[in-house]
Amino acid sequence: MKNHYLFALLLLAAATISFADKKANLGGFDNFVERMGAGSRELGRGNTGSADTSALPGAYFNPAILGFRNSVEYSLAAEKRDLDRAGGSLGIEGRIGSRMGIGAAVLYRTDLDFTVINDDDEDVGTARPYFTITYVGLGYRLTRKDAIGVSFALSYDNMDVSDSYEGADLVDGYQSPVTLNLGWLREWNEKWSSSIVIRNLSFSKNLSATWTRNASTDNSVSESEGVRPKVLQIGLGYHSKLLGRPISSWMEAIDYQIADTLLAFDPDLHVWTGRFGMEWEAIPDGLLRFGFDDSNYTLGLGYRFSVRLGKHRYPFEINYALIYESEADLWDPLSFGLRGAL
Amino acid sequence: MFRKIFGFLLVLFAAGAFASDGLVSNFTFAAGPGPSTGSFWVVCRGTTGSGLSLVNLSIANRVVSATSITQEILADSISPVQDGVFSDVTAEHRRTPFVNAKSLGLVLPLFVDRDSAGGYLVPQGYLSARATNAVSARALPNPESSFEGDTAMLHASSAFVYDSSDRNLWIARGTYGVTIENVSKGINSPVRSFYAVNAKTLSFDTLSASYEATRSKNPAVFGLASESSEKMWVATDSGLFILNPLTWKLSRSGVTGLDTSRVTGVWIGGTPTQIIVETSKRYGNSTEDKLWRSYNGGKFAEVVFRDTTGKVQKNIYDKADYSISNAAFVGKTAFLSVQAVEGSESGLLKLDSAGAVPWDNENQWLYGFDAGVVERNVVITSVVAFPLSSSVMALAVCTYGSGVSVSADTGKTWTSIVNQTAVKDDLGSIRMVPSVISADDQSLVSYKVSKPSKITIEVFSYDMRKVRTIVKDADRQASVTRSTKASEDYWDGRDNGGRAVAMGIYYIRVKDNHGHVGWGKAITLGGK
Repeated sequence: MKNHYLFALLLLAAATISFADKKANLGGFDNFVERMGAGSRELGRGNTGSADTSALPGAYFNPAILGFRNSVEYSLAAEKRDLDRAGGSLGIEGRIGSRMGIGAAVLYRTDLDFTVINDDDEDVGTARPYFTITYVGLGYRLTRKDAIGVSFALSYDNMDVSDSYEGADLVDGYQSPVTLNLGWLREWNEKWSSSIVIRNLSFSKNLSATWTRNASTDNSVSESEGVRPKVLQIGLGYHSKLLGRPISSWMEAIDYQIADTLLAFDPDLHVWTGRFGMEWEAIPDGLLRFGFDDSNYTLGLGYRFSVRLGKHRYPFEINYALIYESEADLWDPLSFGLRGAL
Repeated sequence: MFRKIFGFLLVLFAAGAFASDGLVSNFTFAAGPGPSTGSFWVVCRGTTGSGLSLVNLSIANRVVSATSITQEILADSISPVQDGVFSDVTAEHRRTPFVNAKSLGLVLPLFVDRDSAGGYLVPQGYLSARATNAVSARALPNPESSFEGDTAMLHASSAFVYDSSDRNLWIARGTYGVTIENVSKGINSPVRSFYAVNAKTLSFDTLSASYEATRSKNPAVFGLASESSEKMWVATDSGLFILNPLTWKLSRSGVTGLDTSRVTGVWIGGTPTQIIVETSKRYGNSTEDKLWRSYNGGKFAEVVFRDTTGKVQKNIYDKADYSISNAAFVGKTAFLSVQAVEGSESGLLKLDSAGAVPWDNENQWLYGFDAGVVERNVVITSVVAFPLSSSVMALAVCTYGSGVSVSADTGKTWTSIVNQTAVKDDLGSIRMVPSVISADDQSLVSYKVSKPSKITIEVFSYDMRKVRTIVKDADRQASVTRSTKASEDYWDGRDNGGRAVAMGIYYIRVKDNHGHVGWGKAITLGGK
């Protein structure tokens, strides 16, 4: 009998080893701009925002948020992370009629100092590869508590290395297929809110956003194919008070399906991860935040103020986030943002 | 007599020709003896152009090191390495031939990139490398005859022989037969003659208007080899011939397999003398490739491939679709650099008195990366033997991307000579070489540590998710240049599951067990 147990254990071990290599991972490059989020306010609390009607830009976090807009609001964010990584986001959105909102957002990432080294170990140039994704969204308020939304996203990558290879016909820029994002948000009461967002659908057979890229016009580089992970994002928000001051927390469960199938039930084709964030107004208009996004830990600060110009008072909020990327053991202290309303 | 005279000298070099340290490129295609003992030429064609490097070596305790490297860069329009060196359908073109021609120095073929459009596929003459400040390009006029339907590469130079007693440079020129340049009046006053093999009359005729570039009458000449002024081996489209330069008469080898086949090359050397012959018999669209040898004056026979148990394996050379780029002889051992078409498989064949010597128990006859000849898994393009000292013959192996490997002990140990940009101590800087790859290319993680260390190398995506662990706690030695173990410390654009990662920029972290951390960057253009 012991031998049977031993055999079973060996089989289990062998299966574990074989599955280990099959497991998809999210380390791949595609869609990383989306995974890194937008807005330093939300970044300081773990990138959570899908179940928060005040998250900006709503076109990115959850297009249903646009249905709750009552004025024109905007957000700006810029950051520089370790290893010359820099990026930012810009969002603007407003109300149309009594139940609808519309918005747009642009997310941008780059590496400021990439040295092109050839096979002879010579520096032959520098490059600034950059990556953008643009969202255009529409939200519709079904009831006082519910809204749904849709946004379209278009991304563009540019490797910026072709100038360093005069003898090769490399292609720098790639435009990815348009993806479709669907969202729902409900504010159950003063304390609870919830959301469901489905990202990266497309208009193909399996609703998958697939792409083919040929990095050269002379076929000197082999063609590559890829598929955007379909994302199911379920969010929950809770609002309360701590020491008499407002406190909120959000959490998001996220499933990435990395396969060109409508629905895949193989766990190897899914990556499950989560986000959590808290925000506490520790002093009047002064906000303290913390959270985590998968393996990244964040700490945030914010301050609200307003400026009166003529008869109008314009609200502003400045935000700061500190990020710790734990897998790489990197600290990123330079993330700033501004948001406001007109 | 000549259809067209180009003049003796072409415009030689780029205006910026200069001498400086380092190989012209890590992409090396041929090497040859230098002007002095302990030096050798390396022929390079890299991403930025072609050129020659003169490497001076020293040896201490049988360890070879480069004491100086000077280089001569050629003009963009010329190269000794033609475009089809890996892919040409004819075996005689998958090599860069050379000869040490005394006053002419190292002689190499010369190809022109006409109109900078079609690649280096127009043979124009030869290069003469006497010193790094004395490299000249010499045009070879075409013989005056009719060559209907001739394409340029059909008369590419595929072999050189230098007869030092008469100061004759013999050049095998395919459909143009044999050209002899006599430089007894000085290298700038050559007297040129054109000859053709006459397979019908078995005579070596002056090339005339009656020349008929056919296999039956005037076959193309692909190879030449000679050990004395009395006998010249001539490899042709119509078999192997033996020329007596005194009587100008030809005779056939007397071996059916050699006299009826397309003979693509012949090499001679060693003690005792070995004559290596490669045949490539055509059957419609396929070829039957064979390797022949005459050892110590014996009759030609196919080279025997034994396995490690001593059992003879058949058709190894043909099945692998090899072709020889060069042969080097050290004592009684012959080293042949061979590669399959497109360079998919390459290495050295080592021939002892009995035949090809296998080096491991999997019937592997190619000595290459796995056998420690080269430190990276790259194509071996050529091999040469040259005097390192009065008593030591060295071997040099050229590679596609990893410089040259040199051995002073007949191939037992090898030292790599490769272009490297300095990196800082203790992971102070990490260089990914090259830094732009596609899947299955190799980006070498270049670093150094000042004391023996356990190294971990990992790859992260832009959002700092780990996608690959390359090595974990691997032992690496201190070095003043590189601690990189080239056979392991590289990234191939794949993740831990073996999938090609998506196009983009990735970050490579190198950690040691002494608290040092360094980062490098690489862009992959994707792949499958």
